[in-house]
Amino acid sequence: MKKCFLGIDIGSISTKGVIIDEDNNILYSDYLWTEGNPIEAVKRLLANLKKDFDEQKYKVVAVGTTGSARRLIGTILHASIIKNEITAHAIGTTSLYPKIRTILEIGGQDSKIILIEDGIVVDYAMNTLCAAGTGSFLSSQAKRLNVKVEDFGDIALQSKNPTKIAARCTVFAESDLVHKAQMGYKKEDIIAGLCKSVALNYLNNVGKGKNIKPPIIFQGGVSKNKGVKKAFEDLLGCEVIAPKEGHLMGALGVAILAKNSNKEIDFDFNVTDINFETRGVECHKCPNNCEIICVMQNKKLLDAWGNRCEAGSVK
Amino acid sequence: MNEITIGIPRALLYYKYHVLWENFFQELGINLIISPKTNKEIIEKGSSYVVDEACLSLKIFMGHVAYLQDKCDYLFIPRFACLKEKEKLCTNFLALYDLVHNSFPHLKLLNFNVDKEKKEEQIDGLLEIATSLGFSYLHALRAIEKAKDKEEEYYQKKENNLKNKLLNQDLKIMVVAHPYNLYDEFIGKPIINYLEKENIKVITSDIKQKKINTKGISDTLYWTYNKELISFINTYKDQVDGIILISTFPCGPDSLANELIIRKVKNIPISYIVVDNNSSDTGLITRLESFIDIIKLKGGKLNA
Repeated sequence: MKKCFLGIDIGSISTKGVIIDEDNNILYSDYLWTEGNPIEAVKRLLANLKKDFDEQKYKVVAVGTTGSARRLIGTILHASIIKNEITAHAIGTTSLYPKIRTILEIGGQDSKIILIEDGIVVDYAMNTLCAAGTGSFLSSQAKRLNVKVEDFGDIALQSKNPTKIAARCTVFAESDLVHKAQMGYKKEDIIAGLCKSVALNYLNNVGKGKNIKPPIIFQGGVSKNKGVKKAFEDLLGCEVIAPKEGHLMGALGVAILAKNSNKEIDFDFNVTDINFETRGVECHKCPNNCEIICVMQNKKLLDAWGNRCEAGSVK
Repeated sequence: MNEITIGIPRALLYYKYHVLWENFFQELGINLIISPKTNKEIIEKGSSYVVDEACLSLKIFMGHVAYLQDKCDYLFIPRFACLKEKEKLCTNFLALYDLVHNSFPHLKLLNFNVDKEKKEEQIDGLLEIATSLGFSYLHALRAIEKAKDKEEEYYQKKENNLKNKLLNQDLKIMVVAHPYNLYDEFIGKPIINYLEKENIKVITSDIKQKKINTKGISDTLYWTYNKELISFINTYKDQVDGIILISTFPCGPDSLANELIIRKVKNIPISYIVVDNNSSDTGLITRLESFIDIIKLKGGKLNA
């Protein structure tokens, strides 16, 4: 029986999973919406992966989790490693594209740039805690314009004359956008303008002062938007690759990290039959009043976190 | 003389001058009450006393004042305008006395002005307060001298500590922020604690520097405290593996100075963390964890 490794990336919007063999080849993968319930999403993901999984040939010996629900899911699945999504992405991308020099990434809540030389990360930047200019900015503007955010890219490509829009701050951008729409600018020009401003804002913000060299990969949810990809190409004056499997890079990276952790912990797909519950409890032991999250497995406490100090420790 | 109690808010410039202030008042035999470490209640109270646009650090300060209001006879709120000629401090330090006076009109405040351009020094202010409280000038002068010695000793120890840490072979990350942000329970403390838990030597920017060197970053910047931070970076950046800048939203001087640092300091990973009154630290942990990973990857050390 051959060893294989499961990586799961549980983001705020989507949940991704891959199973790799010992040579980092992706054997199975799946992708679905988190819908605000990471535990259910992972159960569905595992059920889908199990359908195709060849239990005679392979055995999952280690699990890695990443994404914003990494800790919750990592606890439930007894993960060998729990890693943040940025590191996971960097490792996933460089494993598939070893020659890459620059990774541009725009996700739902954050954006970052990673510069690589000879497969080694040499520089990196990330947006501050403000989510301006990220995927959530585009979604909220799409709602305002009554356009599906998935259609943004195609509409933007129709524009010949993108409207100038200030995208530094979502609040200002919104008033700029309303103003331009009322002035009579075409919808496709406004959308192309938004895409351009996201790219420009990114380069002026996380990308400022960075030596951006090709080959360049553009990943994260916003990379599916052709309008932003084209804006990056126009602004940088070179080709930008938006790989098809761009959304799987985090899951792939954390699967590789699970493999490299050398911590083999048996994994059983039947974990989907177990009942998991989470419960938020207020501590009340000091003025901080921390909210503590308790994870219960079949009514038994599995783990708890969220306390700032020892007074609130449950375990 | 009756026993009096003086309250000092554990916020803003307390973190810069606490050794001097505490020793001075204690030397005079005055009861001191320092507000406790920042907690959620203090932040919430503080936020209700200032306009929304004020920075988190100021909101926290007002929360500490609110905590102390019924626990002392006097509140110690000096006004800091200028420490060096042709240089400035954030206007919050200038406005502090008036802000507190207007929001808490019933409180008795101990105040003096520090303004180099008007030749008003902190030492003179402290002496003035002591004599106005009925202490003899000589007594006060002796207290000042003792407090200054203690402060000198404190910062010398800090510098020695820092130099020892720099000799260490572990990963070293410089955390650069105003001391009131660096050590606040809700701003810098969680960041420092996290780094230390990860076995990283944390090099904090709060030492006293004899010479300020902002070369290569800015010749014209006039914010005294930010110049100190830039000088610290210039002096030690070659001996650390990464730099974390912390600021509170929406700090004016930091927004300019940190921008300059990010643009001009090359060849070292920098992470800029702006803290606001966020109740969840998920975004913070993601940033710190990935920043450490990137530094380890750079040195080829990431094997986990």
